[in-house]
Amino acid sequence: MTEKLKNIRNFCIIAHIDHGKSTLADRLIEKTGTVSTRDMSDQILDSMELERERGITIKLTPTRMFYNYNGEEYILNLIDTPGHVDFTYEVSRSLAACEGAILIVDASQGVEAQTIANTYLAVDNNLEILPVINKIDLPSADVVKCRKEIEDVLGIYAEDCPAISAKDGINIDDVLNQIIERIPAPKGEENAPLKALIFDSLYDNFKGAICFVRVFDGFVKAGDKIKMMKVGKTYEVTEVGVFTPKMKPTDTLYCGDVGYICASIKNLSDTKVGDTITNADNPTAEPLPGYKDVQPVVFSGIFPVDGAKYQELKDALEKLKLNDASLKFSPETSIALGFGFRCGFLGLLHMEIITERLEREFNLDIITTAPSVSYNVYKTNGEVIEVSNPSMLPPPAEIERIEEPMIKLDVYTPPNYVGAVMELCQDKRGEFIDMQYIEKTRVVLKYHMPLAEMIYDFFDSLKSRTKGYASLDYDVYGFAPSELVRLDILLNGEPCDALSMIIHKDKAYGRGRQIAEKLKKIIPRQLFEIPIQACIGGKVIARETVSAMRKDVLAKCYGGDISRKRKLLEKQKAGKKRMRQFGSVELPAETFISILKTDDND
Amino acid sequence: MIDVMIYIHIPFCDSKCLYCNFVSGIYDEYLKKQYFKKINEEIKFNANIDYHITSIYIGGGTPSSVDSKYILEILKNIFELYYVDKNAEITIETNPASLTSDKLLDYKRGKINRLSIGVQSLNNKCLKVIGRKHTKKMALKAITLAQKYGFHNINTDVLIGIPKQNFFVLKSTIKRLVKAKVTHISAYMLINEPNTPLTNMIESQKVKVVDEDKCVKYYNKIVMFLKKRDFKRYEVSNFAKNNYECKHNIGYWQCENYLGFGVSSHSYLLGERYYNTSNIKEYLQSDFVYNKNKLSVNEKIEEFIMLGLRTKYGINIEKLKKLGYDVLSRKKQEIVMLVKNGFIKISNGCLVVCEDKFGVLNQIILKLLP
Repeated sequence: MTEKLKNIRNFCIIAHIDHGKSTLADRLIEKTGTVSTRDMSDQILDSMELERERGITIKLTPTRMFYNYNGEEYILNLIDTPGHVDFTYEVSRSLAACEGAILIVDASQGVEAQTIANTYLAVDNNLEILPVINKIDLPSADVVKCRKEIEDVLGIYAEDCPAISAKDGINIDDVLNQIIERIPAPKGEENAPLKALIFDSLYDNFKGAICFVRVFDGFVKAGDKIKMMKVGKTYEVTEVGVFTPKMKPTDTLYCGDVGYICASIKNLSDTKVGDTITNADNPTAEPLPGYKDVQPVVFSGIFPVDGAKYQELKDALEKLKLNDASLKFSPETSIALGFGFRCGFLGLLHMEIITERLEREFNLDIITTAPSVSYNVYKTNGEVIEVSNPSMLPPPAEIERIEEPMIKLDVYTPPNYVGAVMELCQDKRGEFIDMQYIEKTRVVLKYHMPLAEMIYDFFDSLKSRTKGYASLDYDVYGFAPSELVRLDILLNGEPCDALSMIIHKDKAYGRGRQIAEKLKKIIPRQLFEIPIQACIGGKVIARETVSAMRKDVLAKCYGGDISRKRKLLEKQKAGKKRMRQFGSVELPAETFISILKTDDND
Repeated sequence: MIDVMIYIHIPFCDSKCLYCNFVSGIYDEYLKKQYFKKINEEIKFNANIDYHITSIYIGGGTPSSVDSKYILEILKNIFELYYVDKNAEITIETNPASLTSDKLLDYKRGKINRLSIGVQSLNNKCLKVIGRKHTKKMALKAITLAQKYGFHNINTDVLIGIPKQNFFVLKSTIKRLVKAKVTHISAYMLINEPNTPLTNMIESQKVKVVDEDKCVKYYNKIVMFLKKRDFKRYEVSNFAKNNYECKHNIGYWQCENYLGFGVSSHSYLLGERYYNTSNIKEYLQSDFVYNKNKLSVNEKIEEFIMLGLRTKYGINIEKLKKLGYDVLSRKKQEIVMLVKNGFIKISNGCLVVCEDKFGVLNQIILKLLP
């Protein structure tokens, strides 16, 4: 039995975004002949259209490869990981299924924020870390300096680490050899009861929910009765298989293997990522530790433009959730937008990606409200409530205090932008903690900052103020009391719930004015004059007016030419379809997200 | 027997106005001759003694710019081949620059009983800037001459928003026309259509456009002014003394049947719309095989609303119900809101747009469409 395990290596690849993770994965697949050259497309593991287009990996995709080393055949299971800060959670899922991690460092950029963050994650998971220096084909590559940085900053021995070019396929064998030499083989008892970790899941219209698993103990085959330990439900296995990277059925998955299990699981929520699968009749004593339930930090309302498509939106979100356990959503009703969902995301990019997938893959027209964070509200009656929807904030008289989520923010920047970064952080209510030189050309600035400030275009502002050189990393560490108020927007005298926001008292006036001005530009003239008011607790702090439409009529009708009028009216009618009726006011769908873009941009 | 209106399009002008983008222009006599031959063929081709003709409208272009013998021939043909009601309204559009005693006499002989005179303005500066070839004096003379020859049902067209026109200039034009005892005024806002010489002049900042909000203000003031002088706004752009409303015009808005003859003319007959080519050379080759388009029930409902709301008679709620659209229950909220805010009213079983709200008619229509 140990013979079987001896020749398996389970590993993932971690890196800062754009350091070449997916390219190296492709090279490994190519080198091991897993996918014929004919079927190779660039970055084959990035299966989503969106992933390829943006050049980023969002979903983790497992692949099984065979490699002959010193006359012995080895099975290499690779689990690709996303690199963006928002998807740290997905990274940790991959890590839990592996014994080792390849850490890619760009030879010209060196150690970056995400490199550090992901390395710590891997260390926390007791993984063997295998540094690889990539992009040595670049003229600006500095392998010696890079090795030193890995040793100095990360404390990982890097003297003999492979220096490769994934793009040009240079020294890929070194990587494969080191995987076998340095990453430990999986451990496990084939005769023990089944113990398999769900690290991802996927919904298939024919097979139902499919679990992606790493088997730690025992084995599983079609016909077995299995039990989800956390969910508590039992199923009969219909198919097991491996990733080639396409799903390919096999007879049995043994301990040490990475593969998938189908068991006619209809209910999406039954395949909880992090849950342990065991034998129904002979369960294992202890479930695997799994990993901590990830908490969304950014919240936003998502509504169908066409109110009748609520059910379609619900189905779409459920399908997305199956492939993205970090997505949270619950029904929400808005006066302005009707029925929709309050969704929780890992960050702004995550939110952007989900909304884009809803529009592209499910062909839905949606309205997204400005993102918010979740506040802890301490009421005067002693109750503590969580508020992530500004319209749910109790009246000021019932509030004793509000605490907002705080982040530890690390900004990495070349020294010449330190001033600009500090100014930005200060402006965003950041509290300076520390500044360290990582090396001569790189400084890390440490701040404590409200998460709410982070989600408003902080990243864009940082990039624009540092010409794209700065990068950042953050971690939510807790809550801190803050003087927060709710800023309401009244249209035609009616508060529009979907436009409310919770904001620091000192910023409310400025933002209120900006939003009122912005809305005046966005809302078209209508039959009535529309007053726009920004209010705090009933006090108007800014006012603009969209004046009533004066003229919209087709004058003459030449010789009975009705078609001309018809055409114009048809066009106007189509335009109306994209409008939201709020009382007697018609609002364009983009109104709700536009208020986000009020900072520096205008 | 079915009621039908006839529209005749005469695409000829003595000169092209600077704001004009219609199918009209200056052509030689030979082409005119061919054109009238063709239009008479079309009249014959469609002849049907079962058609009861309730109105004839000769428009253009400038019908008064051509020899009146052509007009007489057309009318003669229609009277011979169709059943023209003895009270039929027969209108011809004219230009003050080309309206002569001789022509008026011929029109009278041809049973024309209504004149539409393209006055546009009684301010010489305004007339010049839009390229009209007549003066204030000529325009007023044309009106008195017409009255002298027994035409008392007279419309004058007036443009609002001509560069250099302020409210005082506009008001004095209207005042003078009322004094001249015209019975109907069509007041249009000048639309700067793309690629006209006037639009080009505006774009190159040679002339200054009158601000749209200002135009609307002028228009509303004119509505009040005319109301006091017994001119009622019976349609978006049309004002008339009692019993001088243009029947032909109203017919369009009430979805009556009409036959259009001539280049770029449109027809609507028994629920089908069709139209001629707008290329005069093509029209001359035409074999009158029309590409007819039958309106769907939904299109009929939409047109009924969109056209009917243009007039002071509004849309008959029962008739609309018979077409399959119960507007009162389907658009209850919208109607309550529009009535409450004085945009529409319900009178005699009809939904009617309030007199001072025709300016935003499209928005009202959009709220009521299915």
